[in-house]
Amino acid sequence: MSAPRVGLIGAGGISGVHAAGWRALGADVVVHSEHGAHALADTFGFRTADTLTELWPQVDLVDIVTPTATHAELALAAIAAGKHVICEKPLARTSVEAAAVVGAAEAAGVRVFPAHVVRYFPEYVAARDAIRAGRIGTVAVARFRRMSAAPKADWFFDEARSGGIVLDQMIHDLDQAEWLAGPVARVFARSTAKAGDGGRVASAAVLLTHTSGAISHVYGVWGHPGLRFTSSFEIAGDAGLLRYDMARSDTVRVQLGGPADAGGYLPATDPSESPYAAELADFWAAIESGTQASVAGTDGVRAVALAEAVLASAASGVPVDLPADPADSAHSSTEGSPR
Amino acid sequence: MTTTTPLTIGILSFAHTHAASYARILSAMPDVEVLGTDPGPYDPGTVRGAGFAAEHGVTYVEDVASLLAKAPDAVVICAENTAHRELTELATVAGAHVLCEKPLATSDTDAAAMVAAADASGVILMTAYPVRFASAFTDLVARVRAGQLGEIYSILGTNNGKMPLAQRSWFTDPTRSGGGALVDHVVHVADLIDALLGEPAQEVHAVTNRILRADAGVGVETGGVVSVRYPSGVIATIDCSWSQPESAPTWGGLTLEVHGTAGSVRIDPFAAHVSGYDAGGELWAGFGADLDARMIDEFLDAVRTGRAPQPDGAVGARTLAVVTAAQRSVASGLPVPL
Repeated sequence: MSAPRVGLIGAGGISGVHAAGWRALGADVVVHSEHGAHALADTFGFRTADTLTELWPQVDLVDIVTPTATHAELALAAIAAGKHVICEKPLARTSVEAAAVVGAAEAAGVRVFPAHVVRYFPEYVAARDAIRAGRIGTVAVARFRRMSAAPKADWFFDEARSGGIVLDQMIHDLDQAEWLAGPVARVFARSTAKAGDGGRVASAAVLLTHTSGAISHVYGVWGHPGLRFTSSFEIAGDAGLLRYDMARSDTVRVQLGGPADAGGYLPATDPSESPYAAELADFWAAIESGTQASVAGTDGVRAVALAEAVLASAASGVPVDLPADPADSAHSSTEGSPR
Repeated sequence: MTTTTPLTIGILSFAHTHAASYARILSAMPDVEVLGTDPGPYDPGTVRGAGFAAEHGVTYVEDVASLLAKAPDAVVICAENTAHRELTELATVAGAHVLCEKPLATSDTDAAAMVAAADASGVILMTAYPVRFASAFTDLVARVRAGQLGEIYSILGTNNGKMPLAQRSWFTDPTRSGGGALVDHVVHVADLIDALLGEPAQEVHAVTNRILRADAGVGVETGGVVSVRYPSGVIATIDCSWSQPESAPTWGGLTLEVHGTAGSVRIDPFAAHVSGYDAGGELWAGFGADLDARMIDEFLDAVRTGRAPQPDGAVGARTLAVVTAAQRSVASGLPVPL
């Protein structure tokens, strides 16, 4: 496998773990960002490009790690320049934009991979393998839970720019719900946000009815500054149950003197088996070999469509129906219709 | 040395398996005489009636009327859910205080009638919600009252267990239970939230299915999730599924997770256990305070002193309303205002 030539667009919160992943792959990386490009490049030994025009000739693919609302425009520009696209989730702010990105890539003959990194977290992979091996029988009730301190950057709370907690955080578990329990037919959601002394907080609580008849609930919190990152799931089937709670993981115990730990926005991962590095390696291998990765562009469109249904239900207060076949939503122009 | 007033307590029906726990606790009290009666019907192969009474130190009485004729100070109702109202009305007319197994009833009408009957007779009606007495919950309440969590905005609760045993088939017979997992397991969590927030639920949406234990062919939901909004804007999810596999080493559990603007607390009151392995596989030796005993203590103290205990009949009715609203939501597919 040759070393990829990568344009890393953006230098914000998630860029560090992507940069580390690319470095692990021996990639030749050029960073382009409105802010922070030089600091990131210096840390990882990368180069920088001041403009996209300057970036294109130096790279074969781009990795977009900018705020959500800019994803589609940057992806379309890269596709127009003939570059493969890896894009942080959500693939775009709207499913219409996300579908446009996937359509443009198909037309241009380049690949698109939305970075649904939870598909590369080993606990979720192990659960999927166990379900597919029939170890818990037919999935009946699935529970997904994810929380952390609320992110600090303003755009995360700007619904127009980020879609808030639902498109930024919960989209991971919406994707997992379909990955592990099959397509979703109906969504009911509640959400809330508050200004607290330590900053803004938000929560969303979603009930999903799958086409199989299974039901899921998906719970997300962006909490106070001391709330540690944790995610968990339980998948109950008619022949068994799968359970994982990051807060109960016990592989290493470290207790150091000094100030108490605060919360954080990202999970701790095994640096030797980073899921971020694993997803970038999988995407690069898929590009090189022309094969499928664990995430396809259409999965990114579907996840945004599901998140839009969550937002629509939370706003309307009634359940929202979705097209049963995930492929249907890839080119649909609706965000699900209120009943 | 302190002395307490001798009391006569009647257990009305042994249909609910909790009757065994209550009988054991009450019969161990030196100043309490425990009577019991068990109208049935009984599942085949189960020890009920006089046999059950003998095993649990309870003096067996032939029927409910005979028991109430002995003028007990109080009764503990462990009958099938649909029989709670009739037994409560008979007991209150006889002047007996009532501790009623949850859910208080199977319809809002019945629950209101029970609260009214107790009020009319000037007796106590208490709902059997033992988790209220868990130290983990009282600690949570204290932290919330002290302002450590700031303003509460989001709650997640689970109460998952094995499907009730074949020896108590009424749990899965809707004509006697009023429903399945929704009826069995929503109320505990709804009660804790009611106590914590001090406000009743405002709107309920629910989804259910019957995939778990479909092999048992029961006519009730075995999986369920309820979404609730409270007047202050708090959003809550309650998972009531009978999703604990038969192969699990313990009955199930209850969790409650509360998020506020300044802090978060998650409690798992039944988590304490020694784990290990025995010949059958995983071993679970639970430990911790006997919550049923604390609840009985609260009830008997209220009976002796005449004070109003918690959880009372009113909260039993308010939390049942969450269940009946969930049932209506499942039927209509839409959220239900309360």
